[in-house]
Amino acid sequence: MNFFVYLIVFFFSLHINADEINLYTTRHYDSDIKLYKEFTKQTGINVNIISGKAKPLEKRILEEGKSCKGDLFFLADAGRLYSSQKNGVFKKVSSKVLEKKIPAQFRSDYWFGITKRARIIFYNPKKISSEDLVNLSYEDLTDKRFNKYIAIRQSNNVYNQSLIASLIENHGLEYTRSWTKKFVTNFSRKPKGNDRAQILSVASGESKLAIANTYYYGLMLSGKKGKEQKEAAKKVRPFFPNQQNRGTHMNISGIGVLKHSPNPDNAIKFIEFLLTHAAQEHMVNNTFEYPMIESVDPPSLITKMGGSFKQDNITNVSSYGKWQTDAFKIMQEAGWN
Amino acid sequence: MTKINQPFYSTNLSFYIILCISIISIIPLFTIIINSSIIDFDFTLFKNSQFLEYTKNSLIILFFVLFLTFIFGVIPAYLVTFYNFVGVKFFKYSLILSFAIPPYIFGYSLSAFFENFGSGYTLINLIWDTNNANSYLPNFSPIVNSVLSLSFTLYGYVYLLSRTSFVGQSVNLLDLGKSLGFSSYQRFFKIILPCARPGIFIGLSLVAMETLSDFGTVSYFGVSTFTTEIYNSWFIFDDLNTSNFLSLLLLIFVLFFFIVENYLRKDSRFHSLKNEGKRKKQALKGTKNFLATAFCLCLFVFSFVFPFSQMLYWSIKFPEYLANFEILKLNLNTFLLIFFTSFFLISVAIFTNFGNRVLKNRFLSVFSSLSISGYAIPGIIISVSIISFFSLVSSFINFDLKTIFIGSFYGLILGYFFRFYSIAYNGIKSNFLKINYSLDESSYLMGFDKFKTFSTVHWPILNKNIFFIFILIAIEIIKELPITLILRPFNFETFSTRAYNFATQDLIEATAIPSMFLIFWASIFILISFKYFFQDNK
Repeated sequence: MNFFVYLIVFFFSLHINADEINLYTTRHYDSDIKLYKEFTKQTGINVNIISGKAKPLEKRILEEGKSCKGDLFFLADAGRLYSSQKNGVFKKVSSKVLEKKIPAQFRSDYWFGITKRARIIFYNPKKISSEDLVNLSYEDLTDKRFNKYIAIRQSNNVYNQSLIASLIENHGLEYTRSWTKKFVTNFSRKPKGNDRAQILSVASGESKLAIANTYYYGLMLSGKKGKEQKEAAKKVRPFFPNQQNRGTHMNISGIGVLKHSPNPDNAIKFIEFLLTHAAQEHMVNNTFEYPMIESVDPPSLITKMGGSFKQDNITNVSSYGKWQTDAFKIMQEAGWN
Repeated sequence: MTKINQPFYSTNLSFYIILCISIISIIPLFTIIINSSIIDFDFTLFKNSQFLEYTKNSLIILFFVLFLTFIFGVIPAYLVTFYNFVGVKFFKYSLILSFAIPPYIFGYSLSAFFENFGSGYTLINLIWDTNNANSYLPNFSPIVNSVLSLSFTLYGYVYLLSRTSFVGQSVNLLDLGKSLGFSSYQRFFKIILPCARPGIFIGLSLVAMETLSDFGTVSYFGVSTFTTEIYNSWFIFDDLNTSNFLSLLLLIFVLFFFIVENYLRKDSRFHSLKNEGKRKKQALKGTKNFLATAFCLCLFVFSFVFPFSQMLYWSIKFPEYLANFEILKLNLNTFLLIFFTSFFLISVAIFTNFGNRVLKNRFLSVFSSLSISGYAIPGIIISVSIISFFSLVSSFINFDLKTIFIGSFYGLILGYFFRFYSIAYNGIKSNFLKINYSLDESSYLMGFDKFKTFSTVHWPILNKNIFFIFILIAIEIIKELPITLILRPFNFETFSTRAYNFATQDLIEATAIPSMFLIFWASIFILISFKYFFQDNK
């Protein structure tokens, strides 16, 4: 009997710690964990982590309610941040430091963008000339000259939903509906695989254009995926669309303090830490994303792709969340599997 | 209801405890039904083209997986039971090693091998030094990839169960076939296959249940199926109630296979193993010998060697991922889960089965059978049911049960209890059925009470197989992903959650090390329990 009492105490004691923050995250990078250890070293505050998919974690946070031990929720898409905000996951936070560091379109009163990612076009210079792409916008991808050119992943992918949502925000539902229908006819194959698989499809000559997030390309170029993938990436060139108008579509990874956070002060300290120069540098150098703060340069592999491109600074990333469901419906109607 | 020579309060107490266990174990089923019934449901859904599309995909996958697992299961089972050919002893055992590979890990290997510039590309380049290796590799569609991953990892069920049926077939019957002048093909189709039907169908039902509730594989390949739609309604449309309703529809469908399986299991008891005389295996010669060996070898290579060597190749090629791998901690976590869960599940199953045997209450017995329905419910739905249920109960009774069961070790054990209780319950039940009731009666006549009857009569017979049930639970827990992912405490990782984390950050190469450990332990468990898998040989 004593043994069982001991065990019960032991398992409960796993959760008890004085100076700590509890983080729910949908980002699964090992490099993030190293960064959190650095935070602990600097502040003495332990960071406990649970990673998983966005909605189940959100459900857990909401149902745990006041007994939720979590302090922060870190999500890898602006639309998801908006949806969690709408469902009452976050509490309002005001921090002068954060407001100063993060441009207004990448934060709300409830959450803060930490890193940026661009969703761009990749092409195979042997199959398509860069002159064909001059002044190209996402809007032009419905052009008949791109018939059977484009590789893109499936409609259930949240980054695609955010891209289409940004079109709805800028042009309205009707325009986007007809755009998506034409866009789907330009697919080179039935959508499958992740972003890297689309880039590889262009490298192999199977498709001529791919739409993917930049960090997948960075990961391949870094050699972390092996020499074959590095060689494949070298066969492909990035292209940043919409340079003549609102700029390239940007998405974010962002974080917010939970409504019933038991350690809100530590939580804000943690967010501020993530936006320090050193932390931003560490993140982008390991994940190949774009930094949120201006003083940090993107990783050299990424700047080689085109460091100074025009980012979409007009569309507020919150709007992705507002339109994601409509975007998904439009994509499904258009036969985008 | 009450039984002889036992104080009333005691049997009564057991009745209520068993009733409680049964009620607790149907919490997920209950939560799904409650949540489905409160939706403002739009019945045009059934005419919706998306609904038709993913239902069609689910059925296509189900059909081909059943077809392939039938071929992969029945043919080698037939060959190793009735014939001698090169490697027969090796294949008899090694073909069940495919149980050690979860379908999603097979999926990772398959896609990594056949993708552009993948390991297949490297291999072709190594042999031929060509610039065009990508074009030599077949480009499977997502549905084909899903069917292959599921078939190669699930055929073990059909193999094991049809083999057991074949071994149990009457030698006299087969001799009769021979004297009637049946060729070996005629004997196979007219005697062997029809007699083994219950076993084969049980195997196929298990495959069907696993296939229908699979999420990891189909979502990795991006096929829209019934399960992915359950996720879409929730993840994209933020509508958990519709997702519950779809789960209920899926569950009804899955329960159909579940009932078929249970019915056949009961039925198959009467096809007892009367193996009169010693069967002589026929030796295959020439081409037939070669074909039999080639078939079994291909199956073993594709189902086990292929995914295992892909993981081994990555582990060697990318040793840097070993650096951050907390080997000790992950092993400890996995084993803690295994020991506590199996101890809990087996104890509860023994208590319930023993109680049912003693009480002989029909209502209770039917109700207890319902409690194993969790096996048919996808893991993620079970986790959500636990979260919703404890949140609801906590607000009712004004006591915080949530802290105890959500995000704790206990919650995880409870999640596994819902999902895997059927393994323990059915395992113990089938052993109890082997014990003749007259033994109990004799024991009572000798003045033994119920507990003493259990400890001196039942236990010595049961305990031989408890280890096997423990192994079966262990293999499932090691491979389990969705429940662990959602219900685990902070900083708690297992091999499967580690592999999943890497896969989602597109570092599929880094999944190799946790996957290798997972496969390693599952294989060890299978190896040490060979004698139980093949106990029909005795």
